[in-house]
This record gives sequence, C-alpha cells and structure tokens, in this order.
Amino acid sequence: MKRTLLILFILSLSLIAFKEGQKSLIQIPQNWPKPVYDLNKNPLSKESIELGRVLFYDPILSKDNSISCASCHSQYNAFTHVDHALSHGINDRIGTRNSPALMNLAWSKSFMWDGAINHLDMQSLAPISHPDEMDESIENVVRKLQSSNIYPELFKAAYGDEKITGEKTLKAISQFMLTLISANSKYDKVIRKEEKFTAQEENGYNLFKLNCSSCHNEPLFTTGEFANNGLSVDTTLNDTGRMKVSGSVSDQYKFKIPTLRNIEFSMPYMHDGRYKKLSQVIEHYTSEKYITATLAYELRSPVKLTSNEKVDLMAFLLTLSDKEFLFNPEFSYPKNILLSNSKEKN
Amino acid sequence: MRLSIILLLLFNSQYIHAQEDNGELNLQFNIVYNDVQVKAEQLIIHPETKEQIYIDVLKFYVSNIELRTESASILREPESYHLIDISNPASLRIPIKNSTDHSYHSVRFNLGVDSLTSVSGAMGGDLDPTTGMYWTWQSGYINFKIEGRSSRVSTPNQEFQFHLGGYQFPYDALQEIELKTQSGSIIQINLDLAFILDRIDLSESNHIMSPGAKAVLISEKVARSFYTIPQ
Repeated sequence: MKRTLLILFILSLSLIAFKEGQKSLIQIPQNWPKPVYDLNKNPLSKESIELGRVLFYDPILSKDNSISCASCHSQYNAFTHVDHALSHGINDRIGTRNSPALMNLAWSKSFMWDGAINHLDMQSLAPISHPDEMDESIENVVRKLQSSNIYPELFKAAYGDEKITGEKTLKAISQFMLTLISANSKYDKVIRKEEKFTAQEENGYNLFKLNCSSCHNEPLFTTGEFANNGLSVDTTLNDTGRMKVSGSVSDQYKFKIPTLRNIEFSMPYMHDGRYKKLSQVIEHYTSEKYITATLAYELRSPVKLTSNEKVDLMAFLLTLSDKEFLFNPEFSYPKNILLSNSKEKN
Repeated sequence: MRLSIILLLLFNSQYIHAQEDNGELNLQFNIVYNDVQVKAEQLIIHPETKEQIYIDVLKFYVSNIELRTESASILREPESYHLIDISNPASLRIPIKNSTDHSYHSVRFNLGVDSLTSVSGAMGGDLDPTTGMYWTWQSGYINFKIEGRSSRVSTPNQEFQFHLGGYQFPYDALQEIELKTQSGSIIQINLDLAFILDRIDLSESNHIMSPGAKAVLISEKVARSFYTIPQ
C-alpha cells in the first residue's frame, strides 16, 4: 500500500513537471489578452515546434523545391519580405499583395489582408497552393515529406508516429508560428517599468494614443479589424479587400489593420507595399485621403501633426522594435537539420 | 413502371457486399442516375435527350448522423464526419456503432461540414485537408464536389465543376436532410445525379468554385436528390 502511494506520488510529481514544461514553451506576456488560438487543441511540444520550424524553412513545401515560407517571411524583417512591395513566388511570379509580418499570431482572429483565412492552422494552405506562390498541393507535400530522409523521424518525435498527414503538418507549422511572440521592445520594457522613454519618445507615445491607437490599440497594436485607410485605389490591381470575402459593399477597400510592432523592420508598408519608408506612411495619414464611402470615420480629416511632432511620433514607433525577437536563434534557420540533410543529398 | 424500378433496385443491391452480421446498422449510399447505379468515368446516357455524361469526381461530406425511432428516441453518432467518394466503394457504407435496435423510422444527417468545425483549425481523418475538400484561398470545407463532362456544356472540353460549400451567413450551404426509413440492418440511401444535373442549365452554369448564392441554390437541389429505398 505504502509503495503504491509512493509510486502515485512520484507519478503526480512528474505530471506537474510535464505541465510546467508545456507552459514555458511559450510565454503569454503580462497583461495581454487571452490568446485566440486554442492551445488545448494543439498542445505544444518542443519536438512539434522544432518540426514546424524545419517545415517553415524548407523549400520542400513548394512545387519545384525552390522557395520556403521564410523566402517571403524572413526573421530579420519581422518575418516579412523586405524590398518587395508584392510577394514573389516560384519562377519570379508576382502576387497582388505585400506579404505580412508574422508575430503574435496566437492573438489573430483572422489571417490575410482580407481575413479570408479563419484559423492559423489553415493559413499555410493558401501560400502552399497559390499558383503565384508555392504552387503545390498539401497532398503532394505530404507525399514528399513521407518519402524524405528526415521527416518521418521528425514526425515520429513530434507525434509518436511516422505517418504524416495534412493535419499534423499544418499543426506543426502552427506550433512554430505560435512561438513567434514579440513582447520585448523598448515600449514593453517601459510599460513593465524596466526602462524609460526619452522626452521625444514620450511625446510621440502621447501623439500615438491621441491619433493612432483607436485602430492600432495596445498591447498588440492592432484591433484585428478591417478598415479603409484612404489609400488611392490602384486601378491595375483593383483590389477591393475585405469585400472579396464578405461580398458586402460596406467592406469595399477595407484591409486588415496590421500590427505596428517591429515596424522599423517590416517595410514596405500597406497591403500593396506602396510605401518603402515609414515617413511616407506618416505623410499619408497627415494628408488628404482618397474619399470613398467606406473610408474610416477617424480619417475623414487628416491627422494634424507639426513636423516636430512627426519626428516624435517616429521616435515612438521605433521603440516598438524588438531585437530579441528579430535575432532570437530559436526562430532562425535550423542549420543542424536542414543543412546536414542537403549535404547528405549532394 | 414502379415495379420495374423496384426490380432494378433489387438487382442493384447485388453490388452491395454481404455484410458481416455484427448487429450494427449500416447506411449504404448508392450513387445512381435515373435509378441505375453508376460508377466514376462510366458513360451515362440520358434516356430521352441522349445527353452524354461522365462523372470524374464525386465526393461529399455526410455528418452528424442521427437515427430516430417511433418513440422519438435518438441515436446520435459521435464524431460523425464521413467523406463519401464514388471512387472509393468502402466509403459508401457507414456502419453506425451501438445501433443494435433496428426499428429506426428516420435518418437525419447534414450534407457538408458544420460551421463550428469549419472554424476550428486542422482536422484529421476524413476531414484532413489532403482529401482535397478544403478551400485553400478562403477557409472552409467543400461540402459537395462533382466534376465531369456533359454534351450539354458548350465549352470545348465540355467540363462542369461544382464545388459547393460556404459556412458564413448569408451563404451557408450546409443542408440538413431527413429521410424516412424502414426497419432493417441496412438503410439504403440513393443519390440520384439525374435529379441534380437535370435541374441545372449546364449551358448557362457549369462552374461554381466558391461560396455564394448560386452555391446555396445548387446545394438545395443536391439535398433534394437523396431518397431512401425499400429493403
């Protein structure tokens, strides 16, 4: 009897340790809302996150094995595609929208500039199968993974089974993306009272709260909603945005409000990447807008800022850069697995 | 006429494998054209118009199956999602666990995948995205997919493709189907493609690949093309 109790005690201890381990795989920042993503449906493990990371960096997801997720979502640019207004796919094909920066995705209610995707798990299906992006099918991806040298083993480590399915593949990619949390910028440290803003940043923060925060609200710096911010309509693309998904005229020219975190590194800006510089973005908001029926109420008249105030606002926006996120080795190319595999092949 | 149909059905039931008698009730879906069983890629000729038809792909979801008895007791199949595929005969038969009572007088199921499941991320088994029944560019399951060729389609390749789905208001394409049944261990459910194809003007509309009013309209036609047959 005593022995049974002892065994039970040890078992329960190890269970507690297991739970603790799970928790620390991602840290929900203090005072942040509850994640939208239901982690109970896809319990995180070190092995699945690692599998997801390898998949994220492996061009095996594309039809001709030429581009990976990271091709258009590079870590040093807050996981977007610097220098490219519109996303580039295989054979240099060009898409119609700017690839979004990837971070804090556990808090996203919908995905894509028009919110066409309803769940993080399903998001990767879109670039995998889009003819202008990876031009591949998930069926074929699963076949390629199953017959590769490395994946059956990685799936076994992650799921206890070498059998690869679409569900497991997508959920592993989600796991890696869920770890991409950016919450250690200067702004965050100021909020946590670990650092202080300069006078200029402080003034910029106040201007931000007054003029920008109704759409880019803290701490995620987006409401996750859709808005028409008064950009002139590019008649070659004639992208109606959210209306394509909802079919509702009241959504015409509305696009997902992007986060401002790491904005210093996530150029170009806007859904079509028309602005290369942050100063152009501020210029847009302080100028007359392209008037359509759905233009955001807050932007009916231009934001009024003096040139000094614009500089202060910019100074605040730069405090949203999170170097620990941008250079976190846990998010980078998994050399140990992918490089050694490609060497073996050669 | 009626007798000949019944005889034909009896003949058709030869296709159905003798089931192991484990007491389970089975739903058996039969894909027919004017009551005659059809297979993928087989030439079908319309008896009157002589229209020539080939079905290349036919897949659909049957979900949330419920069986009701006269006394209104209900057996709900748990985790009830089934992909029916004309090219996979095993998928046409659905054994219902714990259904030893065979006095059910009606069967109810959804044609398609409910909205809650549609927004809950990646799923496995019959709901795995590798089944080709999930839209990639806009989230949502394809409830019903039929692709083929018809001499009524005026394009050079004569193809028609209907991918019917959509879970969001006002274009929710999910259909609830309720059919009367008779006691017995197999419930035979026919899906008559003639009912669907004859009700669509293929020269006008031969291509639906996204949610919308048209998808809902045709989904309703599909739902009315299921019927149970006497044992």
